[in-house]
Amino acid sequence: MLRVDRLGKKYGGRWIFRGLSFELGQGDRLVILGRNGSGKSTLLRTIAGLTAKTEGTVSLPDGDPRWTLGLCALEQSVYGQLTISEHLQLTADLRGCPPRTDELLEKVNLGYARSMPASQLSTGMKARLKLAMAIQSNPLALLLDEPGAGLDEEGRNLVDLITSEQADRGCLIVATNDPLERRLANLELQLA
Amino acid sequence: MNSNWRREVEAVFRKEWQTEMRSQSGLVTGLLFSVVTVYAISFASLNASMTSTVVSGMLWVALLFSTSASLPRTFLAEEELGTADLLRLTGRPHAIFWGKSLFNCFQSVITGTILSTLYLGFTGKAIAVPWLFAVSLVAGCLSLAGAVTLCGAIASQASNRAVLSAAIAVPLLLPLVSLGVSAVRVSLGLHVKHEDVGTLADGIGAAIGLVGYAGATLATGPWIFAAVWKS
Repeated sequence: MLRVDRLGKKYGGRWIFRGLSFELGQGDRLVILGRNGSGKSTLLRTIAGLTAKTEGTVSLPDGDPRWTLGLCALEQSVYGQLTISEHLQLTADLRGCPPRTDELLEKVNLGYARSMPASQLSTGMKARLKLAMAIQSNPLALLLDEPGAGLDEEGRNLVDLITSEQADRGCLIVATNDPLERRLANLELQLA
Repeated sequence: MNSNWRREVEAVFRKEWQTEMRSQSGLVTGLLFSVVTVYAISFASLNASMTSTVVSGMLWVALLFSTSASLPRTFLAEEELGTADLLRLTGRPHAIFWGKSLFNCFQSVITGTILSTLYLGFTGKAIAVPWLFAVSLVAGCLSLAGAVTLCGAIASQASNRAVLSAAIAVPLLLPLVSLGVSAVRVSLGLHVKHEDVGTLADGIGAAIGLVGYAGATLATGPWIFAAVWKS
């Protein structure tokens, strides 16, 4: 479903990671652990095609990556002037999938704030919105970067729900510093 | 899943419209530049008689500044605010370029119309060939929007964005400004005594050049943009 073969990324003269290979099938949930600066976020961005790889190959699930791949990252920003429901409409129109606004907002518990501009959202609410956008097209591969950051207990339960649903649908990669998030995985990768 | 170009381009255009109408940064910047430029030129040329060549040159300087100040922001702001990744993950580069270009064209024509109305009102210059002036202005604004959007799109991928944007803009905009000045000069000064602005055919030729420039920029822009967008 998702295959990474001898993947390497170099910034300046320094290798962030090199020779990484793994293959994930349906139901696989991989947690990437490592200290700050070990390249966890860079690895997710490289798999998603947002950062150019230096060497190696990444094979994503068959189909258009706009539909088959979802990414929710801490550093990802949203449009401050757009409301929550306008964000979901925008990403749906760009992907060519149904917006599923009501269903997604109910799932991430943001229905009450659907008309609020993103500039007025708390960190946790933005994280929920980004989760909703990441799973909008029911992707076969879901990449989550620090999914628990900024979320309360209810939010962390939401992450548990989304990851378990993803395992039924496809595969999941979680990059985290939080050892507690090992619970989300059945596979582990430690970056040096 | 159903991929539809029109739906994608409309989504980007609507997003640009909503963010611009709520922040009004681009429109206000463009109009502010326009008003200041018109005021400065009018004040400097008070009681002086300006030839059609000078008036058309000054009009294009004002158009260039007001457009260059606001339009490249559409792509640069996405990178600086960190929202570009959302578009990269969900959108196709051609649709993103078209949506942003169309919005910039719309904004450029609005700004250009207000600017030229103010400018000609302040300077008191009559238009000798109104249809040529209108065609030159609209085609010129579309060309400017296309060229400046392309510059912003290419430069947004670089680390030193502001400098690169200006460096790319110079060779792209010079022929455009020359064509624009030629067309507007004829539309203002044809048959005016003691002014040699060229013939109507010269003006039409320059206007056709502007239309071609706009078409070429807007048609090839998406392919150039697609090559740099995900690299």
